[in-house]
Amino acid sequence: MTLHRRGVLGGMALAPFLPGHAAAARGNVLNAMMPAEPGTLCYPLLNTRLVQEICGNIQESLLLLDWDFKPRPNLAKSFTVTPDGLVYTFHLEPDVRWHDGAPFTARDVVFSCDKMLRQLNPRSRNAFNNCESIRALDALTVQFRLKQPFNAFLLSLMASNAPIMPAHIYEGTDFRTNPHNVRPIGTGPFKFARWERGQYIRLTRNKDYWRAGYPKIDDVYFRVCPTPEQRMVALETGAVDIALADDIDTVVSKRLRANPNIVASTRGYEGVGEIQVFEMNQRRWPFSDRRFRQAFMHALDRDFIVKAINFGQGKVATGPIPSSAPYYDPKVLTRYPYDPARARALLDEMGLKKRRGGVRHRFGFLMIPDGGGVQTRGAQYARQAAAEVGLDIELQSSDWATFAQRTGNWDFDMDNNSYGEYGDPAIGTSRFFVSANIRKGVPQSNIQGYRNRQVDALFASASTAIDPKAAQADYSRLQQILTRDVAMLWIFERDPMLYYNKRVHDLVSGPNGPTDGFGRTWLAT
Amino acid sequence: MNRAAYIARRLLRTVLVTVAVVLVSFFLIRLAPGDAATVMAGQSGYADEALIQSLRAEYGLDQPLPVQLWKYVSAVARGDLGRSYERRQPVLDIILERLPNTLLLDGFALAVALAGGIALGALAARRPGSAGDAGVTALAMLFYAVPQFWLGMMAVLVFSVWLAVLPPFGIETMGADYTGLMRIADVARHMILPGMTLALYYMASYARLTRTQMIEVSGQDFVRTARAKGLSERQVARRHVLRNALIPIITYAGLQASILVGGTVLVENVFSWPGVGTLAYEAVTARDNPLLLGIFIVTAVLVSLFNLFTDIAYSIADPRVQLQ
Amino acid sequence: MKAVLLPFLARFLARPQSLIGLCVFIAIVAVALAAPLLFPKGPFAIVGMPLLAPGTNGLPAGSDVLGRDMLVGLAYGARVSLLVGISSTCCAVGAGVLLGAVAGYYGGVVDDVLMRVTEFFQIIPAFVLLMVLVAFVQPSLASTVIGIALITWPQVARVVRGEFLALRTREFVEAARLVGESDMSIIFRQILPNALPPIVVIGSMMVGSAILTESALSFLGLGDPDLMSWGSMIGASRSAMWVAWWTTVLPGVAIMVTVLALNFIGDGLNEALSPRRRQ
Repeated sequence: MTLHRRGVLGGMALAPFLPGHAAAARGNVLNAMMPAEPGTLCYPLLNTRLVQEICGNIQESLLLLDWDFKPRPNLAKSFTVTPDGLVYTFHLEPDVRWHDGAPFTARDVVFSCDKMLRQLNPRSRNAFNNCESIRALDALTVQFRLKQPFNAFLLSLMASNAPIMPAHIYEGTDFRTNPHNVRPIGTGPFKFARWERGQYIRLTRNKDYWRAGYPKIDDVYFRVCPTPEQRMVALETGAVDIALADDIDTVVSKRLRANPNIVASTRGYEGVGEIQVFEMNQRRWPFSDRRFRQAFMHALDRDFIVKAINFGQGKVATGPIPSSAPYYDPKVLTRYPYDPARARALLDEMGLKKRRGGVRHRFGFLMIPDGGGVQTRGAQYARQAAAEVGLDIELQSSDWATFAQRTGNWDFDMDNNSYGEYGDPAIGTSRFFVSANIRKGVPQSNIQGYRNRQVDALFASASTAIDPKAAQADYSRLQQILTRDVAMLWIFERDPMLYYNKRVHDLVSGPNGPTDGFGRTWLAT
Repeated sequence: MNRAAYIARRLLRTVLVTVAVVLVSFFLIRLAPGDAATVMAGQSGYADEALIQSLRAEYGLDQPLPVQLWKYVSAVARGDLGRSYERRQPVLDIILERLPNTLLLDGFALAVALAGGIALGALAARRPGSAGDAGVTALAMLFYAVPQFWLGMMAVLVFSVWLAVLPPFGIETMGADYTGLMRIADVARHMILPGMTLALYYMASYARLTRTQMIEVSGQDFVRTARAKGLSERQVARRHVLRNALIPIITYAGLQASILVGGTVLVENVFSWPGVGTLAYEAVTARDNPLLLGIFIVTAVLVSLFNLFTDIAYSIADPRVQLQ
Repeated sequence: MKAVLLPFLARFLARPQSLIGLCVFIAIVAVALAAPLLFPKGPFAIVGMPLLAPGTNGLPAGSDVLGRDMLVGLAYGARVSLLVGISSTCCAVGAGVLLGAVAGYYGGVVDDVLMRVTEFFQIIPAFVLLMVLVAFVQPSLASTVIGIALITWPQVARVVRGEFLALRTREFVEAARLVGESDMSIIFRQILPNALPPIVVIGSMMVGSAILTESALSFLGLGDPDLMSWGSMIGASRSAMWVAWWTTVLPGVAIMVTVLALNFIGDGLNEALSPRRRQ
């Protein structure tokens, strides 16, 4: 008996754990990972990237985004817009059922957009507060009447902004404590199956999915992998099939790209359009002086940041709108190539002369917490680059509480951050530049205190323009002003890398990538 | 002293210290800038006043500090450690879910450390000054000086990256869903690297302690008497020297067990071991105050009880020991 | 004084380990002091592409994830380790001696309170407490030093209290009291010098463990971001370990060698000062 047991244990210990062996339950099962467990699976309550990725399989939106940033039908099979841009009417897909069997109707859409999302999700509030009324015309028709034209309205109906939630589950309950927050119900291709705390969240195929023939996969697992090294190994061993945007540190990208079993792709995050930036507290001198911000830009070798610090992933950012997004206009931008001599000249010009020790000015740099990742490395590089032109930066590390508190209360000199444009400047970008969004106590707002009446007016007229050409003209002018002013220090466009096992196909079908769910994904056997 | 009275007094002291732990950590944690509401708002990348206010209201952070303290203390008195901000689950559930993993790792490490440490120490003490003694002493010094987290990383580098014989991360093979004996074997395999990393440091100190104790004991009269009676060197070492040298070692190990319970943060972090240590680290970085307070309280109670238990067990085993 | 010191030194240096430890320690101190002279551009200067192997591009220890010279980082790391190790130990020993002396000398309520406080520190997970302190105050050199001192002083206090408890009833103390010496004078001029040997030994061992603790904090990203420390070098290269072993191996070896040297010295002091040998 003892001998026998020892045999089993001994054999196990020597079994090569590396290739293949780990993923016993492969089959038609997709394994994804999560760095930490989300606090809830109530999409509107916690609109983080992780929840978007999980719940994107469970809940659906009215529209999806196409590769050319045009809306494509989803739960809404068609829609009409009046010529004045004020009334949007959506015709819903018939015969759609919630996972518990209840029929999906216009009531769910009205409840989600008018009540639940507006109450819980600041990003949805931005769009739906623009509505004069949201009404169900009949069981399958919903009409949104806007107070004024808003040309990004359709884009704000994408999954991450407007997941449609079940009215029969949530109406009349306390949204924050509803028991279905941890076993969500949706209309999507996958149903919630099990949440094994500390290990995984399992979704299973929705057999009654309204889109015939989908989904192609039986089960989707999101497995907890807290450290970046663990995630890399899990991907290499095949224990996990896909690694999403932030799962893998760029340090090891070369190693993974050399792996013949793994595909690396930058497609699928265009819809977010993330730009990494440095922000300056423009209430304080010398950050209030445009020449200082220009000098700082000239002091940075942003090519080096992309090539060396982010290991070749991404591209240098040229302005507030990402180069892959609509309205981007490369012709009007003021560019800031690496030129330390120019930086020094600008600093001299504004009277920031070298004092004892060769230092012109000393200030703090509050680092966003990213566990020593690319943001931290970028800040460390910035300190070196600034030292070359006589600026002495004191790096301050923080956790999320400190970072949110200090930036929200304007208690900082300079920080690093990033923002997503989400397909339209009116959704993701204007909030950092319009003076109406200078709100003390609120992180991720116009914390820099950038004020420019012309910019305010242009953002307002651009987002309400009915003629796309007029909107383009406004956004071009905005890009011209904002880059001339260095209203923010745009460092680089992130282009997060999606890694997946080569057996995975059709992982991404639009610029919102993994947040649209795995409904079309299939696995080679 | 009467054993029951002693236990009662110790329990009372445990309660008092726990109350102190609650109060001190409550205020310590509130000293920090920012709160959970700003954390969540900042992390979601999109925030406004309404979001922050609703989060504050949900967590009760909009109430005056004394009210918050009173509510918390009275809840703890009822055995309710509150809800985690980040996970929105009862804190006690979260901790109890992770605790077995940590105790498993600690238990394994402690057993290995004691067995290995005593064996090596006894070996070294047999011939002080010999090559074996020098080797054991040198090894002990070495493992005493190595940063635990780094030792763990090196173990991963050697056994997982280069030799590829042991799994580096987690408590079981991801997605394998083994059951029964296979699962036990799988967990055991995953426990080797983190367990040994943890054990080596303590093994070093036990080896040193055993060596000094045995050398000291073997110089005492009763050992000389035993030798004079004609017992073999081996019998003397085993029956008389080791047994007497063990008492202070066990006491010392009992004290260290308390360190082990809360001290696995680094090793768990390096090996992604889903225990209380990684939980504590996550709670610190997410400013999840109820969870953090809960971890302090649970470990404090656990350690107190453990110390009490070893004291009592000790007095039963050796009646000469006075409880005081 | 000389009569005491010389034999002590002889006993200390008679052990080869002590001698080796002392030499290595002096060498590390020398590197730490000379680092700004040897590498005036500082440890954060970027000298090339990231993750260059040792020996390439004239970099004997290679480059790290940001293309910084690992050798320079190792030299500057010694400054942080020694600074934190020594200053936090000084703080802890200062506080521990003061409180332990008062508690041991006066006994009673003061002693009771001190014992409860040390019990508190024994029961609470010390490293978690340290993480909380440092993270919430904001990681910096000062918060690291104070944090480490705060969780280690009770050890010193317990030892000092024990010594004082044993010594306060001895004849020379009684004699001083009869002569009318003040309490302060008795504590610091009569008892303390006699209690010094164990304090010196525990202090020397604490420097090493403080260095380990600092490296652990920095490893978790809770170190001063403006300083290059060995722990933060390892922490910053966690993922890089899989593609560039030197980024984690070398700083770890540096920590190990330093702590080993300090422990050798501590052991030597213990042997040289231990009461059995003194008699």
